[in-house]
Amino acid sequence: MSTIASPPRPETGELAVLAKFPAGSITPQEGLDQPTWIVRREILAELARELRDNPATRFDLMLDLGGVDFPDRTPRFDAVYHLYSIPRAARLRLKVPVDDTDPLPSLIPVWKACNWFERELYDMFGLTIEGHPNMRRILCHEGFEGHALRKDYDAARRWILTEDKIYQPHFDLPNDEDDLFERMTVNIGPSHPAMHGTFRLMAVLDGETIVASDVEIGYLHRCFEKMSETHNWQQVIPYTDRLNYCSSFINNVGYCRTVEQLLGVEVPPKAVWARTILSEFSRIMDHCVCNGTTMVDSGGLTNFWYMFQPREEIYGLLESCCGARLTVSYGRIGGLAQDLPPDFMERCRHLLAIIPPFVDDVERLVEKNRIWIDRSVGVAAISGEEAVNWGWTGPCLRASGVPYDVRRAHPYDLYDTVDWDVPVLYGGDVYDRFRIRMLEIRESLKIIRQLLDRGIPEGGHITSDPHVALPPKEACYNQMEAMIYHFKLIMDGIQVPEGECYSMVEGANGELGFYAISDGSSKPYRLKCRPPCFPIFSTFSRLIQGGSLSDAIVSLGGLNVIAGELER
Amino acid sequence: MSALPSSTGGAAPFDSTRIEQDEGFRRRPNAADAGKWQGLANHPKVTRPYRPRVAERLYLPLVGGLLVTLRHFVRNLFGKLPTIQYPEERRNYSHRFRGHHILTTRPDGSVRCVACYLCAQACPAECIHIEAAEHPDVNIEKYPVVYEIDMLRCIFCGYCVDACPEEAIIMSNNYDMAYFHRDQTIAGKAELMKPFTFDENLLGYRPRYPEEDAKRAKMRREAFNLVEAARQAKAKEEAARAAAV
Amino acid sequence: MNIVGESWVTTKFENLEDWAQRNSFWPFPFGTACCAIEFMSTLSSHYDVARFGSEVVRFSPRQSDVLLVAGTINDKMAPVLKKIYDQMADPKWVISMGACACSGGFYRAYHVMQGIDEIIPVDVYVPGCPPTPEGLMYGILQLKERVTRDRKKHRVQAGLRAEEQSGKTEEAVDRVDDRVTAPA
Repeated sequence: MSTIASPPRPETGELAVLAKFPAGSITPQEGLDQPTWIVRREILAELARELRDNPATRFDLMLDLGGVDFPDRTPRFDAVYHLYSIPRAARLRLKVPVDDTDPLPSLIPVWKACNWFERELYDMFGLTIEGHPNMRRILCHEGFEGHALRKDYDAARRWILTEDKIYQPHFDLPNDEDDLFERMTVNIGPSHPAMHGTFRLMAVLDGETIVASDVEIGYLHRCFEKMSETHNWQQVIPYTDRLNYCSSFINNVGYCRTVEQLLGVEVPPKAVWARTILSEFSRIMDHCVCNGTTMVDSGGLTNFWYMFQPREEIYGLLESCCGARLTVSYGRIGGLAQDLPPDFMERCRHLLAIIPPFVDDVERLVEKNRIWIDRSVGVAAISGEEAVNWGWTGPCLRASGVPYDVRRAHPYDLYDTVDWDVPVLYGGDVYDRFRIRMLEIRESLKIIRQLLDRGIPEGGHITSDPHVALPPKEACYNQMEAMIYHFKLIMDGIQVPEGECYSMVEGANGELGFYAISDGSSKPYRLKCRPPCFPIFSTFSRLIQGGSLSDAIVSLGGLNVIAGELER
Repeated sequence: MSALPSSTGGAAPFDSTRIEQDEGFRRRPNAADAGKWQGLANHPKVTRPYRPRVAERLYLPLVGGLLVTLRHFVRNLFGKLPTIQYPEERRNYSHRFRGHHILTTRPDGSVRCVACYLCAQACPAECIHIEAAEHPDVNIEKYPVVYEIDMLRCIFCGYCVDACPEEAIIMSNNYDMAYFHRDQTIAGKAELMKPFTFDENLLGYRPRYPEEDAKRAKMRREAFNLVEAARQAKAKEEAARAAAV
Repeated sequence: MNIVGESWVTTKFENLEDWAQRNSFWPFPFGTACCAIEFMSTLSSHYDVARFGSEVVRFSPRQSDVLLVAGTINDKMAPVLKKIYDQMADPKWVISMGACACSGGFYRAYHVMQGIDEIIPVDVYVPGCPPTPEGLMYGILQLKERVTRDRKKHRVQAGLRAEEQSGKTEEAVDRVDDRVTAPA
């Protein structure tokens, strides 16, 4: 259905932009996985605007902004921007070396997605951002001192949050003294059923209408990125599970792909096949949860029960593969942790038969239901360009008319060998976000069916490179060489050569990216996760403005914000 | 994509009204939108925003929904419920289930572990604590005097099982764990060795499974029979001794 | 009638009260992370914790009696957790579900609380990451047993004579101090 037009040669547009800036202010870095420029911070603001507006480059999507700390270098930090051009399917990475006293310009005027990313940059690294409307900590609490991702910050040093330091919002609103009704500020969350556990919404209400609001997150900040610096490459996999815990296998795959690219290791066909199938099942699981909980928030509890049954069945499949239902840790660098169980095909076919009736039932209950239509059509609507500017990806973006899907634009695994469509809807509202997830469940079932019809490929479940994957247990018990490789892999860890890589997969929420920097040792030097729901949730207070409180609740459900991923 | 008005910088309070009212929000998409993304999508038609039809306005599809729930109700009432009636019924997890850990034993009953520390090193949660001592048998060299797993820290990832070169630590399919006091939660050697059995049905995540290795399964069954016979002989001897006393 | 006014009738009534209390837990699901999803599975039709009396889970601390902490609690959430715990009326119990709530799990990190028993007293620890729904239900069953003991303990503490389960009462008395001196 959707095909990306063949993009112009990437170099032409970028070269034209390069020429516009004074020599020496941009240094292209060669030999990396995607075009990378080292940019001086003085020209960053104009460069960003140029990259976005120039029709030859059109970098309209600001994917990710993270920092890296090089304590032995001056300037000490790098602010790394990952940009993407949807019409051209082109990527660009900008690295801006700064010290903590050098102010970086805020790029919110160019890409609104930068809002929360810049706050995170300040929170984690202490960089100064100039021109940000709301510069304060975002993930760590207000009583936190220091900047956690700096290399000199001890990973276990905690701070207590006392009651007086808890953030209280201050809204500058026009005076309403002559108004008959008083405005009320209501604090919703973080312990609130509709806030999915860990978001705090402070809304100023005028009757039922939300006049202004502020969102506070960080209630599930579990220091994933710091933990990945203190554990070796293989041990990070259980941490990635707990990012988007509704579809944990996809996170495993995303992370493992990044490291595999750094290592240059080839994944055997059987593992690729199984990864694709299990990723699609995980995607179905996640959409089931999202739609189920959205309906719970709107009062349709029955759908929650119906949507959880497919989830339970898929749990049975995952559990038969690796022993755990939810946090599977089934991926390994180079393939899968264990071989597929002998009844894998039967279980998958059984699932293909069981899941559609539940999805059909929920559709029948909901999609033409006037109660749901009244609650969701036109609610929290956002247009395609606005969504792209806010950094949206995934089903929420596709519900606004932009057909960007990583599996179609940058195919990986077996997605380009099967026949499937990218569903796109144009309403951009809660109704369409709900509906698009149902359509995506059906597309996923289609993909799985085609892959199952091919049969299990021959071969192993993990690469046979002994520097990357543990040797099979038979060899380990009987052969000295295998024993030594095993010992070295466990004690020292996988030695990943120096380099950096940003690799992306289509998570259930959008583009899930991992930016990994290796310094040649067994532990990641820096692992930045690009959470798809982070920019989506940053739009939330703008989305609900002017709507009623019940609209806000329903729209939060539809965005599928998973706190584990949002706050890492 | 218009610019934001300049803000006052870091210390200013957040003011959502100063972000301009973008027409990007709450704008109804129209036919012109299809053209914007041309080249990316070859949609044959433009989907208008959802307009409920007459039947939907009259709440008629709710009848269909009620029939769906009625069907589920009748099916559950007269058929089989999907509910697993725990604790009477238990779900059949696979034999790869990652449950409570087990320290395996040699046929003579001593622990198989040689205190190589690979499991402690592999564990992401650092929940395994081992203290090693010299084993009198020169071929075995070491054994753990103290082997403790902090069950509250453990994330049940199975890395210890993957790391063990002796198949000394495996996992069972037991998930019934709950503690009242903190001091009950550290599983020592005795507690970890207790559930070891050659009965495949009680075992979980481990390096080799019966379906992969029929020979190994046969060896386990024979070992099971041997251990069972030895246990029964011992029990008979004890009974005889007790009777003689 | 003995000196403290207890008779067969009041004892039986207290037994009835105990039975009602332990078979109608009203959990407050303080769910933050992955364990909350497993808790949702426990609620749903496959496992159905409603069979144990927890038909309703509502986020109302005033009305619930079991605080079920499912998921990682970090330092930012800690004051919220404490406040919810304080708002709950006695008698109340706490189930700590999952490795993160019990002990911080594998997040030995700068923002994660190493176990909720840093700030609130926990009655049942359910390990697992996440615990299976059956594991959680086992924890709830253990709590039921605990509830019966606690109620009896409270009566002992109030000066009533020891009941026939004097063995349990002895160790129960030791724990009473923890319960009573825990911040209300």
